[in-house]
Amino acid sequence: MRSSMTITRGSAWRTRAVAVALLLGACSTDTLLLAPDPDLVAPEKVLSAEGANGVYLGALGRFRDITGGNESSWLFGGLLADEWSTSSTFVQNDETDQRQIQVNNGSVTGMFRDLARVRTASNQAIAGLATYQPTRIAERAEMYFARGFAELQLASDFCNGIPLSNGAGDSLVFGSPQSIAQVFGVAIASFDSARALVAGRTDTSSVRVERAARIGKARAQIGLGDASAAAATIASGTALPGTYSYNHTFAPTSGDNVLWGQPYSAERYIVGDSLEGNVPPSYLVANAIPFSRAGDPRVPTTILTRRGQDGQTRIRRTTLWDRSTAIPVVNALDAALIRAEARLEASDRVGVLFILDSLRASPRTQGALTTPVMAALVNPGSQAGMVSLFFREKAFWTFSRGQRLGDLRRMIREYGRTAANTFPTGTHFKGPAYGSDVNLPVPVDEQNNPNFIACTDRLP
Amino acid sequence: MRRSLTRATLWGALLAAFAAGTPTMVAAQGTTGTIVVTVKDAGGAPLPQVQVAVVNTMIGGQTDDNGKATLRNVAAGTQQVRALRIGFAEQKRSVTVAAGQITQVEVTLTAVAVSLNAVVSTATGSTRRVEVGNSIGSIDAATETKLKPVSNLQDLLNARAPGVQLSAGTQSGTGARVRIRGQGSLNLNNDPIYVIDGVRMTSNNGSFSFGTGDAVSSRVVDLNPEEIENIEVVKGPSAATLYGTDAANGVIVITTRRGRAGAPRWSVYTETGRLADNNPYPTNFTGWSGALNGPCRLPGYSAYLAAPAATQSGSNCSIDSVRTYSPLVDPDATPIGTGSRSQTGIQLSGGSEALRYFIGIENENETGVFKLPGFEQRQFDSIGTGNHYYTRRPNALDKQSFRMNLNSAISPKLDVAVNTNYIRSTSRLSNSSNATAGIGSHAFGGPGYQNNGTVAGTGTPLMGYRAWTPGYSWQELYGQSIDRFLTSLNAQWRPFSWMQNRINIGNDFTARTDNRLRLRGEGAPLTATYRLGAAENARAGIQNFTVDLGSTSSYQPLPWISTKTTVGMQYVHYAFNSNNAGGSELPAGTQQAGANGLPSASESSVTARTLGLFIEEAIGFNDRLFVTLAVRSDQNSAFGTDFQSVAYPKASVSWLLSEEEWYRSPDWIDNVRLRGAFGASGVQPGPNDALRSFAAAQTNINNSDTPGLVFSTIGNEALKPETSTEFETGFEVGLFRGRYNIDFTYYNKKTSDALISAILAPSLGAANNVRRNLGATQNTGLELLARGQIIDRESWGADLTIAASSNKNELLDLGGTPPQIGVNNRVVEGYPLAGWWGRPITGWDDRNGDGILTYNANASLNEVFVGDSAVFLGYSTPRYTMSITPGVDLFDRKLRISALIDRRDGNRYYNNTERIRCASRLNCNGLNNPNASFEEQAMVVAALNHPARTNAGYMQPGAFTRLREISVSYQLPSVVTNAMRSKDATITFAARNVATWSRYRGVDPENDFTVTDGGNFPQDFQTFGPASYYILRLNLGF
Repeated sequence: MRSSMTITRGSAWRTRAVAVALLLGACSTDTLLLAPDPDLVAPEKVLSAEGANGVYLGALGRFRDITGGNESSWLFGGLLADEWSTSSTFVQNDETDQRQIQVNNGSVTGMFRDLARVRTASNQAIAGLATYQPTRIAERAEMYFARGFAELQLASDFCNGIPLSNGAGDSLVFGSPQSIAQVFGVAIASFDSARALVAGRTDTSSVRVERAARIGKARAQIGLGDASAAAATIASGTALPGTYSYNHTFAPTSGDNVLWGQPYSAERYIVGDSLEGNVPPSYLVANAIPFSRAGDPRVPTTILTRRGQDGQTRIRRTTLWDRSTAIPVVNALDAALIRAEARLEASDRVGVLFILDSLRASPRTQGALTTPVMAALVNPGSQAGMVSLFFREKAFWTFSRGQRLGDLRRMIREYGRTAANTFPTGTHFKGPAYGSDVNLPVPVDEQNNPNFIACTDRLP
Repeated sequence: MRRSLTRATLWGALLAAFAAGTPTMVAAQGTTGTIVVTVKDAGGAPLPQVQVAVVNTMIGGQTDDNGKATLRNVAAGTQQVRALRIGFAEQKRSVTVAAGQITQVEVTLTAVAVSLNAVVSTATGSTRRVEVGNSIGSIDAATETKLKPVSNLQDLLNARAPGVQLSAGTQSGTGARVRIRGQGSLNLNNDPIYVIDGVRMTSNNGSFSFGTGDAVSSRVVDLNPEEIENIEVVKGPSAATLYGTDAANGVIVITTRRGRAGAPRWSVYTETGRLADNNPYPTNFTGWSGALNGPCRLPGYSAYLAAPAATQSGSNCSIDSVRTYSPLVDPDATPIGTGSRSQTGIQLSGGSEALRYFIGIENENETGVFKLPGFEQRQFDSIGTGNHYYTRRPNALDKQSFRMNLNSAISPKLDVAVNTNYIRSTSRLSNSSNATAGIGSHAFGGPGYQNNGTVAGTGTPLMGYRAWTPGYSWQELYGQSIDRFLTSLNAQWRPFSWMQNRINIGNDFTARTDNRLRLRGEGAPLTATYRLGAAENARAGIQNFTVDLGSTSSYQPLPWISTKTTVGMQYVHYAFNSNNAGGSELPAGTQQAGANGLPSASESSVTARTLGLFIEEAIGFNDRLFVTLAVRSDQNSAFGTDFQSVAYPKASVSWLLSEEEWYRSPDWIDNVRLRGAFGASGVQPGPNDALRSFAAAQTNINNSDTPGLVFSTIGNEALKPETSTEFETGFEVGLFRGRYNIDFTYYNKKTSDALISAILAPSLGAANNVRRNLGATQNTGLELLARGQIIDRESWGADLTIAASSNKNELLDLGGTPPQIGVNNRVVEGYPLAGWWGRPITGWDDRNGDGILTYNANASLNEVFVGDSAVFLGYSTPRYTMSITPGVDLFDRKLRISALIDRRDGNRYYNNTERIRCASRLNCNGLNNPNASFEEQAMVVAALNHPARTNAGYMQPGAFTRLREISVSYQLPSVVTNAMRSKDATITFAARNVATWSRYRGVDPENDFTVTDGGNFPQDFQTFGPASYYILRLNLGF
C-alpha cells in the first residue's frame, strides 16, 4: 500500500519544520546557549556585606602590589635612581637603569596601571563598605589611605601630566593630565579623608590608619616642598611610637616579598654602586651613592663572583629582606626623617644632625635586620653639605622603599641641584652614557585616554 | 525568561515561515524500481570506489570491488545515472526503470591523467565539485601517507594547498600555526576550525598547561593521518558560510577512511626513521686579553677595542685576540643527537553492501634530537643521581590510535555510519627558547671558550654554556598524556527519492593530564628557591559536542532546471574544564603535587555554545550553470546581552562554460569552468569577553593569607562576532585531453566589526584590554593550482604540480583607537596587521678606516646611521608561497620518485637569537669579531649604542626555498610479494626537511617558537632548528 501513497512535498516540509520548531521552542535557545563560568564573579555578587569585605581585601592586595608584592616602582624608581643596577636580560630594566626609558616600556606601563588599580579598587571598596558595612570605619579609612598612597607614589615617580581616571563604575571616567603638584594635592585630600573618618576614634585599627594617613599626608606635603607643614602634620595627632609601622606582609603561599624575589632570588637587580661594570673595564658613576661598597649596616651587601640573570653582571645582593620579610609602607622612621627635613628646610643643621644621630644611636629593625648603633655623623659645616648628608642618610634608611627617586627629584626642585649633579651620570656599564630621564613616563598606552597625549614635560 | 521566549519564538517563526513559504510541490511517486550499476574502466576491469547517483534525486552509492552499486527506491521511468571517480572523466547514462524490476546499466569510465576530486564535502553534504562556486583545496591523504614522509596531520597540510600556510614547532609532538588566506582577526584566534566526519573536532593549539618557552602540544597532532581518506580545505567565508560563527578563518574538513564492500583487505605498514639536526648554529665569540689570560669583555660596546677607556685605575684590559667556541658543535658538549622514529599499523577493511567496516590500529614512537651531552652523561653516571629518562631524552612522543568505522545500509532508505577513534598519547617537551630555565638561553648565550667555570653551587663544568648545562634544564620534566575519544554517528534517511535527511551527532572528548616535575635538589639554579623542587599535575577535560541536522530535497520543475533545497540546524558545545594541583618545595624523594611544601590549587572553565540555523537553495541550469544561495543565522553564548544573533549570507555561481553548445575552443582545451562566490562568516568573541566581572585573588594581610576579590574585566554588553565577507572568483581549465589542469582564484576578504583588544587607558585602573567591535581588515590575494602529466607513457611518466599564492593584508580601520605601539611591531591603519616596525638602519661609513663601526653622538664622527622614526619594515609572515611537486614514474611505473619544494617569500623574520646574543649575551660575531661584515657591525651598533636602540637589523629577509620532501617508492615485484603472500607491497624511502636555501642569517627561517601561542609574529629566539627526517617504510596489502 505504501508504494501507492502520494505525498506532497509541501506537507512534508511543513511537518518537518513544525517538528523542529517545536523541538527548539521546547528546549529554549537560552538553555542551549547557557554557558556559566565559575571562574568569574558577577558584579552583583559583591553587592553584599561579604562582597564588600571581599572587595576591601582585594584592594589591600592591589595595594601590596605597588610596594613589595609585585615588581613595582619601588624597584624601578630605584633602578632609575641609584639604589639598584640592572643584572637582567630585560631591555625594560636596562633602559630604566640607563635613564633612557621608552614610552612603551612594558614594565613601566604595568607599574603605572597597578598604581591606578589601587585607586580603582579603593574606590570600589569605599563604596561597598559605606553601603554594606557602614560600621567598619577604620577599613574605609584604610582604603582612603591606600588611594592616597598610590597618588603619592604616582606624583613621586612619574612625569608631569598624570591623568587620574576612574574605571570603577559602569561608565569610564577619563582624567585629564595633572602636574605632580596637583597629584600630591589629590593625595593629601585622600589622606585627609582617611583621617577625618577615624578622627577621635581610639580603637587599634583606627589609630593605626590615622597614623599611616598622617605620615602619608606629610610625605605628600614634602613633595610639595613644604617640609614645615609636613612636620606640623606629623605632630598633629597622637604621638607616634618609635616602633610604629604600617606594613605589607608576605608569605610564600600568597606571594614572596618581591624586594627579595627580584634582586636576591632571581638576581635581576644588584645593589647600586658608584663603580659599575664588574669585569674589566669598570666605570665610575657620578653622583651615585656606593650602596654596595659603603659597608653600611643598613644595606648589608655581599658581592659574589658569579653573575646575575643576564649572565654577565656580577651579583651584589643585600640581605636586607628575606622571602617573607614585612616591609613598612610608612613608619615612624619616615616621620622622623620628615621632621629632620623640616629642620633642613629651616637651615637648622644642628637640628637635622640631632635627629639623624638619634636614629643612628638606637638599634632599629630595618627589614630582616636590626641595625646596630652607628657612630654619630660629622656636621658638614654647610647647608649644601647638610643637604647631601641628609639625603644620603635618608637613602640608606629608606633603601628601595619608593622614596629615593622622589628625593632626587626634590633635590633638583627644592635644593638647587641639577640632574647632572644628582642622578647617575657618565658611562653606563652596559652601553652608552646615561641618558637624561629623571622620572618615569606616563606610558604610551595612556593615549587611549582621549584627554591624554603625552607627559606635559619630563622635568623633575 | 522574556528573552528566552522571544528567542524560541523567533526560531520557531523562522522555520514556520520557511515551511509556509515552500511551494507545494506535488510529485507523483508511483512505483519504484532498482538500478544495478556496473562501472568498468576502458580495459573492462571493474572499478571500485566510484560515486554513482541518480541525477536530480538523493539516491546514490559507491561501487564495490566488483564495480557494482545498487540504487534502490528509484522512481519508475527514465532516469539518468551519473558516475564519478577521481582520475576518470565523469559519465552519465540514461536508463529506464521499470516498477518493481531490477534494471542493469553498465558505465565505462575513461581515465584522465589529471583530475581533481569529483565530489567535495560541504556543510550541506557531499556535492559534485563542479557545482560549487568556490575553490576548495583537496589533499589525498590516503596516498600521501603511503608515499610521503608524513608524520602527522600538520605534515599533510603543509605546502599542499595554495593559500594554506603552515609553520610547525621544531620539537616532536608540537603544534603548528595554520593560516588560510592571511590573518583576518586582529586579536582573536586566526586558526581554522576542523570538522571530522561531519562533527566539530577539538583543535586547540598550545594545548598544554605549562609554558616551556617553546612551541607546545596541539590537539591537531593527535590525529593519525593514516586513518584519513582525504582532507578538504574550505578556505574562506565565501565557502565556509554554512559552518557558521568561527569559520571565518577557514575549515579543514577531514573524512576518515571507510570500508568498501568486498573481501577483507589487510593493510600492514611499518616504518623506521632517523631524525637529524642539520641546521647551522652560530659561533660564540669572546674578546680575550693575553695579559689577563682571560676574557676582556667590553660590555655594551659594539666593536672590537672600541669601548671608552675605563674610569677606574687598574680595571682596564686590552683585547689582543678573539676566542670562538660553541657547545652546540662540540661533540662532547652538544645537546643535539640523533632522534628516531618508528610507526607500525594494521588496517582491515571490507564487508558487504549492508555492512562495511574499516578497522585501524597503530603505534607510533618518536624521539627528538635532544640528548644529554656526553660530558654530562658521564657526570650523572659518576654521581648516580638526576639521570632520569626525561633528562637523557627530554623530547619524545608515543602514540597509539585505534579506529573503527562502520557503515551500514540498514534499509534502502537509511544509511548509518558510526565512526569511533581512541587515541592515547604521551609526550614530553624540552624547555627552550623563551625560557630562562630552558636550554636555548644557555646554549646560544655562552662565551667563546669552553672553560668558563662551573654551574653555580655545583661542580659541573659549564663547558661553554651560559649559566648552566642542559642536564639542569632537563631535570625538569614537562610531560603530557592524552586519552581521546572521538565518536560520531552519521545517519542518512531518504524517505523519498527526492529527499534526504541527515543527522550527524558527535563528541570529541579529550582527557588531558599535564605534569611538571622538578625533584628537590635538581633543576636549574634559576632562583634561590627553584631547586627546592616542584610538582604540578594539571588535568583537563576538553569536549566538543556537535548535533548537526539537515534535510535536502531535490526537485526538477523544468527539464532544464534542477533544484536542491537544504535546511539545517547545528549546535556545537565546547567545554574546557581543568584543575591544577601544584606548588613548590618538595621533600626529598617525593614527586606528587600533594607533597609540595607550598601547595597550590586552581581550576578553570571555559564554555562556548553556538546554535545555528541555515537554509540553502542550489539551482542547476542544464546541468552546467549552478547557482547557490544560502543564509545562516547564529546565536552564541559569547555574544553580549544586547546582541541576539547574526546572519551570514552566501551566494555562488559555477558555470561549466565549455558545456555550452555555442562554446568553441581549440582542441587542446578540454573544459572550462568559471566560478564566483560571495559569503560571510564570523569569529566568535572569547567566551567571557562580554562579561563584567570580579575575580578571586589571594594576598597576605598582617601575616595571614587572605582571599579577596579584584575587579577583573569591564565587559562589553554590545559585543558581537566579527564578520568576514569574502568575494572570490576564478576558473578551472582542463587541457590536452585531461593531462593538464589549471585552477586560478582571486579572493577579497574584508572583516568588519573586527574584534579589537582595545587597550584601556592604564589610568582607569581596570583590565588591560576590553574587546570591542571596532576594526576592519582586508585580505586580498591570488591562488594558482596547476597540475600536469608532462610525460604519460605506458611504462613511465612525469608529472608536476605547482601551487602558488599571494596575500596582501591591510588594517583598514582601528575604530578611532590610537595605533598600538610595541617595541618591534605596530598596529597602524593602512599597514598589515602583523608587521615588523623599527627605525631603519639607513647606512654606515667607516670614516676612520679602522674597519670597525662605532656610534658617536658627534655627527661628524658617527659611523652608523639610523632613520629618525620607526617605519614599516615588512610582513611578519610570508606573503608569497609556492610549492612545486615533481614526480617521475619509472620501470613500468613501479618506481616513483617525487619531491616537494616549498618556497616562501615576502616577509622579514626576526632573528631575535642574534639580537639577544649581541645586545645581552655579548657573544655575537658582529660585536666581537673585528672581521665581521659592516652590515653585522651596524646591526649591533644600532641596537646597542645608537640612541635609537633599533632592532631593525635583526628583522632579516625571511625568504627561503626548502626541499621539504623527497621520496622514492618502489612496488616490489610479484616474486617478492608472493613470497610474503601479499597482494602488493611497496617500499618507500622518504626524507623531510632535506635542504634549505635562504638569505636569512639565523638558524632557520622557520624555527619559530611562537607557533602555538596564537600570535602572528614568528621569530627565532634561542630556538633550535627543525629536524630532518629520513624514513624507510614498507606497505603490505593482503
